[in-house]
Amino acid sequence: MNNKMFGVLFASGNESKLNELTIHRTTASLPYGGRYRLIDFALSNFVNSGITRVGIITRNNYSSLMDHIRMGRDWDLNRKNSGIAVFPPYVLNTSREVYKGKIEALYTIMEFIKRAPEDYVVIGNSNIASNIDFEDVLAKHLATGADVTVLCHEGVVNSSRRVAVSKNDDGKITDLCIVETPAEEPRMISLNIYLLRKDVLITMVENAYARGCVDFEKDILFKELDNGKLYAYEVSGYAAIIDDVKSYYGESMKLLQYDIREELFGAERKIYTKVKDSVPTVYGQDGVVKNSLIADGCVINGTVENSILFRNVRIEEGAIVRNSIIMEDGVVMKKSSLCYAITDKKVTITENRHISGFSTYPIVIVKNKIV
Amino acid sequence: MLARKECVAMLLAGGQGTRLGALTQNVAKPAVPFGGKYRIIDFTLSNTINSDIDTIGVLTQYQPFELNQYIGNGQPWDLDRLNGGAFVLPPYQKAKSGEWYKGTANAIYQNIDFIDRYNPEYVLVLSGDHIYKMDYSKMLAHHKQKEAACTIAVLDVPLENASRFGIMNANPDGSIYEFEEKPKHPKSTKASMGIYIFTWEKLKKYLILDEEDKSSSNDFGKNIIPAMLINGERLFTYEFDGYWKDVGTISSLWEANMDILDPASGINLNDRKWKIYARNTAEPSHYVGERAVIRNSVVSEGCEIFGFVENSVISRGAHIEDGATIHDSIIMPGAVIRSGAVVRHAIVGWNAEVGAEAVVGSAQSGPEHGEWKIAVVGPDCKIATAAVVEAGEMVYGG
Repeated sequence: MNNKMFGVLFASGNESKLNELTIHRTTASLPYGGRYRLIDFALSNFVNSGITRVGIITRNNYSSLMDHIRMGRDWDLNRKNSGIAVFPPYVLNTSREVYKGKIEALYTIMEFIKRAPEDYVVIGNSNIASNIDFEDVLAKHLATGADVTVLCHEGVVNSSRRVAVSKNDDGKITDLCIVETPAEEPRMISLNIYLLRKDVLITMVENAYARGCVDFEKDILFKELDNGKLYAYEVSGYAAIIDDVKSYYGESMKLLQYDIREELFGAERKIYTKVKDSVPTVYGQDGVVKNSLIADGCVINGTVENSILFRNVRIEEGAIVRNSIIMEDGVVMKKSSLCYAITDKKVTITENRHISGFSTYPIVIVKNKIV
Repeated sequence: MLARKECVAMLLAGGQGTRLGALTQNVAKPAVPFGGKYRIIDFTLSNTINSDIDTIGVLTQYQPFELNQYIGNGQPWDLDRLNGGAFVLPPYQKAKSGEWYKGTANAIYQNIDFIDRYNPEYVLVLSGDHIYKMDYSKMLAHHKQKEAACTIAVLDVPLENASRFGIMNANPDGSIYEFEEKPKHPKSTKASMGIYIFTWEKLKKYLILDEEDKSSSNDFGKNIIPAMLINGERLFTYEFDGYWKDVGTISSLWEANMDILDPASGINLNDRKWKIYARNTAEPSHYVGERAVIRNSVVSEGCEIFGFVENSVISRGAHIEDGATIHDSIIMPGAVIRSGAVVRHAIVGWNAEVGAEAVVGSAQSGPEHGEWKIAVVGPDCKIATAAVVEAGEMVYGG
């Protein structure tokens, strides 16, 4: 046995609830926090925890992801003997379509899993923004003697499929259930990231696949409950699950809080992303910016409040942007205003346009559109 | 023998940069931060790769560690090539001798073997302490067209400044008949930019001759160029009319940073066709607080800005606290300006800290005898609460 880990990430998930934001991309490549894509958090956490072999299972619209990751160099994952392997959708000769659930997906990359020399594996969705030390997760996993360690955090239930975790004081999981009815009360929610021994995973997936099962949570984890060897690892710092437009907007806006930025970016474990060589942001004589997160390459001559600007955004004179997220290469022209809006990459708002959504229902403007 | 390269670039980055004082106490001048997220050397490295020259030797000598680490394998500039790429070339011990680089020409002389490995036709000699964007491939085409032994890039400077430069006196066809180093009574206004293209065969010959002359100071301007002129070699000027600045002094370094804020200065960094590359440090977007005011300034990644910033360059990872005021200044990477501090016409070095209510520098209406009185807080230096750093004063760190 060795105490080394490799990683497997699912690039897709909950695309339907992210609506316009994932028309052109996978959840993994959703822009987040001004200069990142969601998968940057998982990849950076892996690298910072000594995990340098990563398989990424894609399902649809994965070209934006391939373009982002390239050879993995920006995460120091361009390794000779490990590094990133991207698995495009793969159709087994024995089935006729792309995988239906995580079990099938894992089954299609069984060769990769079996060949990996590491004895432990972390599998997870790539829609989590958090700064996680997997070396600590592994230490806890070994200490508890768990079969599977389930990473979770205190969060809320929304209308997407999330898994609620009940555990005792030792961290042993006593119950798991799928929750889809929105509630304000925070409770322990699974981040759908698991750490387990590789041979345990192989047995689980092969047995479940042989029985025609597709759902990793329902068909494997829930059944493991009875064995009593599922343990929870609570991520104490900030963790966000991005699985619908509301959570995308709400969690993005939390980044305007200093403490949350510190939890996500302040650690020695840095978050890496594709380097684009943008210039520093230029503030004009009349630019007014309050409580906002601004990436490099922007030119700001208008007003920006409580907002997030991605790289190379241009805000012209007299334009007002409030409570909004403007993705890369966005332009807001003179005398236009945006409030509670999310504009995707390369959106142009021409002069004298006024667009407003509501805090619980931000308006999304699709990539490349000109308003 | 490696595959042949038409042109190999040699970048002289060994100078100590004494006139930058505290800023070059522990790093070589080309490694000094510039423009919010760059180092001075990024401009020449980026120009080189943007000009399709992919083999570059960087000659280091003074305080090389920071620079060596920064250049690394050259990847940020796309200079991690299988054949060619970026090479850091410090002086080294040879079988018969081993010595420091005695002068600019000697530094190239000591690396003749390195250049010969690529068997180039031309060698481009560059300095690592200039801020400019230039397409060397055009200069090379000019060199070939003139069938020159050496082409020297020149810039038209105002006559009153000409005596601060090496001046090229040329015929109307661009052929140089005389070179004068800092002439008292300049005959021309064509100043050498310290950028040379040599036909390698010729340069090699003159380097070897120069090395044999024990009285030579082994310098391009003082020895090699005059020797070539005496021997009737074809030397031509190449006129450049873009932005160019030697940032060898505190005043000129400050001015060049301020030029970024002025679109009329001509140094446009945001040119997607001619990007300036830099090694990236993985910092998040910068945050601007509720009461912050930022006017006519540039701000880079990782900054947290809560105070007042005007006409300034705020480099990556700097923190400007609520109530701090910054005018006409350069805040270098990782510096912290505490609440109530006032910074005017100053350079605050990397990772320095200006204490609460401290006053650094004072407002200047213009340069005196061509020099601005810029206050400098050295890298890693801590300015105590309510302390005062006078205009033009330089405070050294640890």
